Amino acid sequence: MSQELKSINLIAPAFKGVNTEDSPLAQDPSFADIADNAVIDKRGRIAARKGFEVITTDNTPLGSNALTVIHEFERVSGSTEILSAGNNKLFKGTTTLTDITPGGYTINDNNWKVVNFNNKAYFFQREQQPVVYDGTSAVLLSTVSGAAGITSAIYGNEVLSAFGRLWVADVNGDKSTVYWSDLLIGHDFAGGTSGSINLDKVWPDGYDEIVALSAHNGLLIIFGRHSIVVYQGAEAPATMTLADTINGVGCVDRDTVQYTGTDVLFLSHTGLRSFRRVIQEKSMPITSLSKTITKDIVALLQTETESFRSLYSPEENFYLITFAGQTTTYCFDTRGTLEDGSYRVTRWPSSIFKSYKRLQSGEVYIGTTHGISEYRGYKDNNDKYRFRYYSPSLTFGDAARVKFLKKIKPTIVGANNSTVFMKFAYDFNTVYRTTEFTTGSQIPAFYAVNEFGPNSVPLSEFTAGQLTNQVSLNAAGGGTSVVVGLESDIDGFQLSLQEINILALIGKVL
Amino acid sequence: MSNGLMGINPTLDFQRQMKNQGGILQDATDGDVIGTEEVMDMAGGGTSLTDALLSFLGGGGGQGLAGLGLLTSAYGRLGDIGQRGLSLGQELAQTQLEQAAFRPYTVTTATGGQFMAGPEGQYTMAVSPEEQALRNQLFGGAGQFYQQAAMPTADREAEIFERMRTTMSPEEERQRLALEERLAAQGRLGVRTAQFGGAPEQFALAQAQEEARNRAMLGAMQQAQAEQRQQAALGQQYLMGSYLPQQQMLAALSPGQTAAAQAQQAQLYGTGLFGEATASGIDALLASGLGQANLMGAAGTGLLAGLFGGSGSGSGGSNPVRDLIDYFRNR
Repeated sequence: MSQELKSINLIAPAFKGVNTEDSPLAQDPSFADIADNAVIDKRGRIAARKGFEVITTDNTPLGSNALTVIHEFERVSGSTEILSAGNNKLFKGTTTLTDITPGGYTINDNNWKVVNFNNKAYFFQREQQPVVYDGTSAVLLSTVSGAAGITSAIYGNEVLSAFGRLWVADVNGDKSTVYWSDLLIGHDFAGGTSGSINLDKVWPDGYDEIVALSAHNGLLIIFGRHSIVVYQGAEAPATMTLADTINGVGCVDRDTVQYTGTDVLFLSHTGLRSFRRVIQEKSMPITSLSKTITKDIVALLQTETESFRSLYSPEENFYLITFAGQTTTYCFDTRGTLEDGSYRVTRWPSSIFKSYKRLQSGEVYIGTTHGISEYRGYKDNNDKYRFRYYSPSLTFGDAARVKFLKKIKPTIVGANNSTVFMKFAYDFNTVYRTTEFTTGSQIPAFYAVNEFGPNSVPLSEFTAGQLTNQVSLNAAGGGTSVVVGLESDIDGFQLSLQEINILALIGKVL
Repeated sequence: MSNGLMGINPTLDFQRQMKNQGGILQDATDGDVIGTEEVMDMAGGGTSLTDALLSFLGGGGGQGLAGLGLLTSAYGRLGDIGQRGLSLGQELAQTQLEQAAFRPYTVTTATGGQFMAGPEGQYTMAVSPEEQALRNQLFGGAGQFYQQAAMPTADREAEIFERMRTTMSPEEERQRLALEERLAAQGRLGVRTAQFGGAPEQFALAQAQEEARNRAMLGAMQQAQAEQRQQAALGQQYLMGSYLPQQQMLAALSPGQTAAAQAQQAQLYGTGLFGEATASGIDALLASGLGQANLMGAAGTGLLAGLFGGSGSGSGGSNPVRDLIDYFRNR
């Protein structure tokens, strides 16, 4: 007697993102074991990330090096200008990178941090004399008229523009002191109301090193490697007082700190963290946002030797953290958190992104060896990239019984004539069985673009909208647990995984 | 005894009085009164001369000679009276000098001090041994105080300042520690500012402490100067105190000096009375001598006038003077 096929529907698979922390068997099917080059789209589905389109047409000064810094200089007039750094040079411009490195100035590294302050842009990095860009040219900070106190004591790796001052920290040989400039004078670190504070006697565990600075909720947050101190009243730094100390949580790199408006996100040695702003209580509870990939993050942290870069984009609703030396980027969806407070996270492997910048307009600029690129489209500089999804091990609620997959029916939204590989494996086997199909073609109608050619009439008669592909694929084999995967090359079109419907026979108890 | 031409002899009482007052008493009859015998001696004496003189006198020459002798005697008498007056005046002055001479005296105070006025006019004061000992002590103390007052005040200022700082330092240390704890609690121990150097509270505390230090320094200077003034004042007081026995003795001297002055005044007054009385006696003596001389002169004049008035009225009359001259010429 034949048995009835049991339908197991994975609706919006992986909409909770990757989870490598919980046991695969106990996981919610909404998690994913792998979600590469994916994001959580606006409908809560896992979808392919956007690619990048290179804007720079002349990156000659960059050579074969990557742009490691992109910064949007905002003038008080409201106009903006893109500044960048790479190949031991400073640039301005987007399509053409114009070298603005001060004459005779030798740059030994490309790990600049750039901030806007009082109609100027200031470049700081470790053991390099700071550079200031006034909208026309870049000069050494010490050469600015009225400059004072510009010595190696303030050649810090971290700079913050807040409370009407520049704040500098992480100086070689003096990693416990924060220096602040005179009020509204970024080139005066010796006069006026400038000053410094040494935290040697403030660190909650006796010793730490300043990594990053942040201003949030009216507070000055000083990130150490494994502790955080918070000062209030930083508007008058001479009288600011300690508001809070956090022991055991620090920041691994200054470039992991991002503001979301309500939170300050930063990467600690145990994962992504945030300060949540509680206005009434004025307290700042600290939460972990990467509980689902903690060990993956830690593993990357321990082996990262190059740099970290991060980005927060409210338009894309993600926080990106890139481990540049390992070409890995994690994408945290910031629209909401899971039950445990974690962000939904996906991974962008083989990432060549070396820097990010979200512009005022909401566009996201990416620095690569090509120069400046924009996060848009679905190609990586005209190259395809692979979207991958793998479910956790699924037991369909009964881990003791054997399951025999008969049909796999993925519902895919988007794509255009793309080959989709459906993969499945039983009982934790890493050798997957693969079946594939090709999505339909779609030529979406765009505004002011003729449907049948430049001179066709009518201009645009029909549009298919976003193509939805729902196919039924045969499956074979059986096991107590099963992993279902989907891979497809993204080559110009969006792809979202709406659902996967699995028809299986439930067998005997093993 | 004279022929009674000379003055008046004083009574015995007057003579005694005059002698008691140092006066000069001389018997008026004992003077060199020229008598008849002396005139005769002056005329040449001897028998021949006597005879000649008798002859001459018998011829009226005697009358002339007597008159001439009286006049001569009166003349000499007047000169003697002047000499006598001068001599008596000098003797009286000498006597009065001796009577008015300063008489030494001594004033002794109740505390044993003495003031002695010597006969040569020197004055000597001597306090009692106890007063002298006290005076020496005070005088020495005054010297010490003045010496201390004259010393530079820098060392004393430093000494006072250190003592003040010793008093202030514990509280300053407590304030510093309290601030350190407060700054540590606020996480601000490491604050360094271009404006204040450290934290504003540290600057304020340091400023307050420095101001206190400055005030202490100024206070030490003022205290040292006050002490210097005090030393000088004490020296002055000691010095004044050291002269106090002398002042008190001088104050006590006034009554004694008044008594001595009164005695001297009485002495001078008596001397004056003596002088006046003696002068009156001398005047009377001289007046009587003058009277005698006048009387003698008048007598001589009268004799001569009688001589020349009786025979000299005609051309054949005799001139006793010429006769006398002729007599001596013809011999």
